Amino acid sequence: MNEIYDIACIGGGIMGCASALQMAEGGIKPIVLDQGDLGQGASGVNAGTLSLQIKRVKLMPYALRGHQEWESMGDAVGFRKTGGYTLAFTDHEAELLQERMRLKVDAGAPIEFVSNRVLNQAEPNLADRVVAASYCAEDGYANSSLTGQFYRAKLKQQGVQYREGFKVLGVEACNDGYVIRSTNSSVKAKKLLLSAGAWLKPLAALMDVELPVQARINTVSVTERLPMLMRSVIGHATGLLTMKQKANGTLLIGGGWQGRGTPEQGRGQIDTDSLRSNLALARHVLPALEYARIARSWTGFEAHVPDFYPLAGKLPGYEDVFVLGCVRGGYTIGPYIGKLMGDYILERTTELPLFDPGRNFVEVVA
Amino acid sequence: MFQLSPNHQDEIVRTAEVSFTFNGKSLLAHKGESLAAALMRAKLLHLSDSPADGAPRGVFCCMGLCQECVVQVDGKTIESCRLPVSKDLQVISGRR
Repeated sequence: MNEIYDIACIGGGIMGCASALQMAEGGIKPIVLDQGDLGQGASGVNAGTLSLQIKRVKLMPYALRGHQEWESMGDAVGFRKTGGYTLAFTDHEAELLQERMRLKVDAGAPIEFVSNRVLNQAEPNLADRVVAASYCAEDGYANSSLTGQFYRAKLKQQGVQYREGFKVLGVEACNDGYVIRSTNSSVKAKKLLLSAGAWLKPLAALMDVELPVQARINTVSVTERLPMLMRSVIGHATGLLTMKQKANGTLLIGGGWQGRGTPEQGRGQIDTDSLRSNLALARHVLPALEYARIARSWTGFEAHVPDFYPLAGKLPGYEDVFVLGCVRGGYTIGPYIGKLMGDYILERTTELPLFDPGRNFVEVVA
Repeated sequence: MFQLSPNHQDEIVRTAEVSFTFNGKSLLAHKGESLAAALMRAKLLHLSDSPADGAPRGVFCCMGLCQECVVQVDGKTIESCRLPVSKDLQVISGRR
């Protein structure tokens, strides 16, 4: 360990990698470290939905730019701009949908309400009990399982070093930065970026900082190949369902239904009751799923802090340690906010403001 | 033909034969034999159709992953490579 890097990004998901690439572009020398393989946490196992209709109002400017990032990554990440519908099946859901979408429109999202006739022409296989439907032409999806190989190739292309299977066991300050210690080796860097997603809490604890990070355990399922049943990304007014059918015929079902487990214990587990409700809702929306079989279900950890806004800035108490994570809608926003973080560390003016990890967290309902 | 390993053919003891049907046609299989193997021996290779373009599909991976050899038993879709044949099993082609 003779080399001293300008910065070590601990956590090689979308945010760590996007930040590292931006910093390399700005002329400094980063290294990306990951306990497993790149992009195999939340970045690689989420349902891949890119929908402005499920983004928080305050994060909309970030999500809009995030969509542009994904579009520019294109086929390499399986990007498809299909348009997306969000459906309400009761008057109460319709009211909820109207209220939520109006705020998002005010925040700049190109969302409109469409008639049942328009919906039915576009998606004839959906249940016909829809009371209201909103539509966003910008919505679509990417294939999250391609995240790791995409960023690995980018890092290689930009000459950014990375180490996979590098689980950080300790971080010690030294006179010109930090020594990051793993099982058999260590890495030296002048600055640190903590970008470990659901594993941020134990990582910050190594720096004697307690971050109020919690993890949701979201469930995703994929069906066997089916005849083409839908073309758009479909959501539910309650936010409890996302569906999309891939070109190969398989249909991906998400919606944030909770599994079990903690990031510290490794991968989470499916909760069968939760999964059953998730699939029942999917079938309610798309009746043809009655005869579909599920090929696989899995879970991923989505980190958040009590106010459900990102951590993006300096780690409290440090001038040369940064933290980036807990972004609601992090798959969509990640590539963009990673760039912002890179700019911030490069001491450039950031296009949009970041989110101070040292703020007072006010508990809100997501 | 070269025999590179000892021929144990005479030592193989098969289970008793049972009858089953595929799309109404009566066939024989050794009890417990995988349905995929039994159908293959009967030269029935077209088991289902592609959901995408309707092209014929049959046994491919033989380990329950590819979903190409699915058939229907009692109204349920099941991989033929993972189903042991039992007496009077009634099988029809996978979804068309």
